[in-house]
Amino acid sequence: MQAVARRPRTNHLDLAQRILDVARQRGFEAGAHLPEQQIASLCNVSRTPVRAALRLLTEKGVVRWEAESGYRLAVDLTNQASLAADLPSAEEDELAEMILRDRSARRLDQTVTIGALMRRYSAERKTVLKALKKLTDENLLDRAPGQSWLFRRAPDDPEAQGESYEFRLMLEPAAILAPGFRLDGTRAAALRQAMEALLALPDAAFDIKEFQRLDIDFHGLIADGAANRFVTDALSDHLRLRRLPGTYAGVNVFRLKQSLREHLTILDQLESRQYEVAADLLRVHLRLSRSQRPQAASRGAPALFGMISRPD
Amino acid sequence: MTRKASPTIALFPEASFGAALNCVGIAQALRARGARPVFICHAGFSGVFADYGFQEYQLPTDDPLTDSERQSYWQAFVRRHLPHFRLSPIDQLETYVAPTWEAIVDTAVNAEAPLRQLMTRLKPDAVVLDNVIMFPALAAAGCPWVRVVSCAETELPDADVPPYLSGLAADDPSRAAFEARYLAAVAPAHDRFNRLRTEAGLAPLPRGLFLEASPDLNLLLTPTIVRRQRAEPLDPARFVYLEGCVRSEGPFDVPVFPRNDGPLVYLSFGSLGAMDVGLIERMLALFDRLPARFIVNVGGLRDSYRAVPDNVYLDAWFPQPSVVAKSDLFIHHGGNNSFCEALRFGVPSLIMPYCWDGHDNAQRAEETGVGRHLSRVGWSDDELENVILGLMADGEMRYRLEENAATMAQAPGTDAAAEAILALVRT
Repeated sequence: MQAVARRPRTNHLDLAQRILDVARQRGFEAGAHLPEQQIASLCNVSRTPVRAALRLLTEKGVVRWEAESGYRLAVDLTNQASLAADLPSAEEDELAEMILRDRSARRLDQTVTIGALMRRYSAERKTVLKALKKLTDENLLDRAPGQSWLFRRAPDDPEAQGESYEFRLMLEPAAILAPGFRLDGTRAAALRQAMEALLALPDAAFDIKEFQRLDIDFHGLIADGAANRFVTDALSDHLRLRRLPGTYAGVNVFRLKQSLREHLTILDQLESRQYEVAADLLRVHLRLSRSQRPQAASRGAPALFGMISRPD
Repeated sequence: MTRKASPTIALFPEASFGAALNCVGIAQALRARGARPVFICHAGFSGVFADYGFQEYQLPTDDPLTDSERQSYWQAFVRRHLPHFRLSPIDQLETYVAPTWEAIVDTAVNAEAPLRQLMTRLKPDAVVLDNVIMFPALAAAGCPWVRVVSCAETELPDADVPPYLSGLAADDPSRAAFEARYLAAVAPAHDRFNRLRTEAGLAPLPRGLFLEASPDLNLLLTPTIVRRQRAEPLDPARFVYLEGCVRSEGPFDVPVFPRNDGPLVYLSFGSLGAMDVGLIERMLALFDRLPARFIVNVGGLRDSYRAVPDNVYLDAWFPQPSVVAKSDLFIHHGGNNSFCEALRFGVPSLIMPYCWDGHDNAQRAEETGVGRHLSRVGWSDDELENVILGLMADGEMRYRLEENAATMAQAPGTDAAAEAILALVRT
């Protein structure tokens, strides 16, 4: 049975990521001074956890320590859409990933219990509880009566995927069109650079996981830019579902590259503040991205779309 | 025919994934050579080819089915035919083959008028037909037409080749009985089809035949390693063997399994075979005790499975050629694309056919030592385990398959097809 390894504490990891987000939002350049007190007040925490988080970032080479002046930023944050991939994951994060992966492969039923998860992953109760809390916080799981939890429906079957696109068609263009939309220019620039780099790869070397990360980041950029916080929340929740394993099946590289080019065109319009054009292009992009592959086909039979229930 | 820098080649695959994706491979190679490949497709396949970047022309349909009627159609189809898929090839003639031919003839009848109109508008330089039946409108299109035999080679009859769909060896004594029963079973559909041909100005075809050889060019997927000797050899000027015809797909990252040891086995029975949940469930239970990792295509029925073993990963769709390339064994239904992909990447096949030319490919895999044939019914756990482990341990078979794969890689069938089609257009 798979066991979970010892990892850094989640709160230090979260704080490390938050420090980087703050630095990026404030336009800190490589070499910028990161005073502990200032970082602590920007992140609304005390100096002790900030020190631990900065040490973590130093180990990763993102921040450097200088005896005379303290911590300084060691990298150009505009070149990286997210540093999350470079940071080690916490024990409960790793367990949460394993739980999601096993649910996607239907190794886990829709309902799970703490005891069963402890046995399956040889994990301590507190680690399982933290992993379940993380998944619950991310709206991927619901607490059920007793000691059980229930997975929410993921867009990993044809019907749910169809509904997911309908939902996004309703809300994503609206996120742009609602008055007050604001594009995070630094994040957009980093995304553009990463998408162009991926687009330049030959088909055989195309990185589908990187596409998935950039795709979620791109649509997250739009969600976060909405002036209406309920739209942002609804879209962010939904994007979390799209991070789940098994939600990107059935797409070939030609379409993924085409999709990246569509993202870039939408970014062009957003950066030019042509929001109506951007919203229209986004609508087209979503329509084109919706898989039209039939579920079943046979000579002489009409192709089947959507689900078919389990045969008797 | 005037020579064009960018000739328009209209590819018209039947409404099945095998033919559709086979044509995608040919179209990719045509596009790489500067041609303009476009697809004529049945309504259900709109979007499949656009996803690979090709223009589509959907055949208008007066198909009156609503979404829910379509669901009901398939529920009934599966309920009716799953038991038939467990019958012997000869017993499928009346239960599955004849009704399927009736449905195929319906398709040809319904497509005739819209296809004529489309050909007039499109004015292609050539049409590539990957189907099992002729569409008279193509013969009247005023351009060469190319037949792709993407089923097993048995689709082209010959005295030394076993009967189509029989799963028999060429010299099997029951051959005559199968042929007689086949002709009787398909006679009503065939009569109806010949009426369509006659009305459209085409000569009727002999009994049992639904598609003639093209007078211009015929492409056969059959790789050399499984090719048959014919009593009447095919004219190499008109019949080109492609050594398979495998499309390009994106890279595939093998997933991490909770039990991450052992060789990799890929299981896919195609979109129709994925509906045989009972069979796949039974196989998964056995896989749990085998020292290997299994990737399983379950189509849209993921939610039908529970407690999937830790050495199994299932999903709705895979970029199949890229998965096969990383596999040590491919368990499939004998679909010709699957069979050719296994050969192209030097992977042994375990064929568990349920219908059509899957029976022929299963028989041929045994005869040529490139895989094994196992019936979908009647197997015991020990039997399936022994076949799987035996195939993965067969170094001699693996060596021969790898040698063959290297040869196939040197002359990709998609390239050969594109060259032959463009040569035809340019003459």
